[in-house]
Amino acid sequence: MKTENCRDWRESLGAYALGHISMQERAALEAHLEGCPECRAEVNSLSGVALLLPHADPERFGPAPQPSPELGKRIEATIAADRQVIHKRRRRRRFGLALSGGVAAAAVAAVLALVILPGGSELTPRQRVQFASLPSGVTINATLEPHAFGTEIHMYVSGIRSGTLCKVFLRGPGGASYPAGSFRYRWGGDSEAVLSSALDLSRTAAIGVHAGNRTFIAPVDQTSAAIDVHIKGEAT
Amino acid sequence: MPPGALSRERDVREAYSAHSGELYGFAVRSLDDPGLAEEAVQETFLRAWRAGERFDPEIGSLRTWLFAILRNVVIDLGRARSVRPRVSEGGIEPSVEPLDEALLSWQVEEAMRRIGDDHRRVLVETYYRGRPYAEVASELGVPEGTVKSRVYYGLRALRVVLEEMGYED
Ligand SMILES: [Zn+2]
Repeated sequence: MKTENCRDWRESLGAYALGHISMQERAALEAHLEGCPECRAEVNSLSGVALLLPHADPERFGPAPQPSPELGKRIEATIAADRQVIHKRRRRRRFGLALSGGVAAAAVAAVLALVILPGGSELTPRQRVQFASLPSGVTINATLEPHAFGTEIHMYVSGIRSGTLCKVFLRGPGGASYPAGSFRYRWGGDSEAVLSSALDLSRTAAIGVHAGNRTFIAPVDQTSAAIDVHIKGEAT
Repeated sequence: MPPGALSRERDVREAYSAHSGELYGFAVRSLDDPGLAEEAVQETFLRAWRAGERFDPEIGSLRTWLFAILRNVVIDLGRARSVRPRVSEGGIEPSVEPLDEALLSWQVEEAMRRIGDDHRRVLVETYYRGRPYAEVASELGVPEGTVKSRVYYGLRALRVVLEEMGYED
């Protein structure tokens, strides 16, 4: 008898959990729930799911967004580069351990020299870059730090229109661009963004920012001059 | 190196093909910027690769681990691109609650994508659009009882998918 009953009620439990049933049906269903622990358990569980529904945006039930097909290759390349750096470091460490006494001290000095000397290794020191030739009131500075994965970029921007999307990229020795991500400038003070690019700092010739409809480029080794490469339409 | 660790490039490739879609989906949902979302996924795999030896499949799934890394990456990116509130002005650090909300939203939306079209359709029409069952039934050319039962089986399917996705309440 009881299972007969449940079969009648089961399929109403979803509508009940969503609060979609009439007063009369509700009263009758609740009378059944009183005496039926199985249906009560089912309602509890469905109510838990029903509580989650408001968190979803039905506009987003369409096909899931997909990353660009090159992302996988880009990650592989980054990791391959990272592995080489790790191997180099391991080799250097082994070499260091084989030394002793005064020789070890000399090795430490050599490593310190590497840290201080610019260019040519992953130990390139951090670079401060100042963008020049900017519209009045606009300031863009960047600090570039070498990392095993490439270059970390701290951007400091002020004076541009709030909400402006700033796309940052690095330029390699051959002029190729390496995207470093984007951020949106918000008014109300200094805006610092931390971005990263797979390009090694030692191979970075310039840093560029697309902001609004303008592109600003600053050479990384000569921190004084900046070139406004192209201007389309009005200034930002 | 412990077995199962993300210690070889091949492991990363496999992890990428298994999980990048979901990771990207969540990154887009929380950052609302496809370019930034790709960066977040890239940074996630890089961090996972570097910490690969620390991943212990005995403790949790690779997917869960990658999501935990991505969550941190998204927090870092979110901090980086927004102006930091100043404590002196009574501001506080950006809360992570919006991010947990984004994760929950993404989970429910992803679950909705995975249930059958018929089930999703009746949930959209009756719940999200608030339309009467009779109206939906006539539009679909099915009895009203069928709409009701699809609502029921749709919620059950959602529950199953959410459990598979690791949702815990
Ligand atoms: Zn029952």
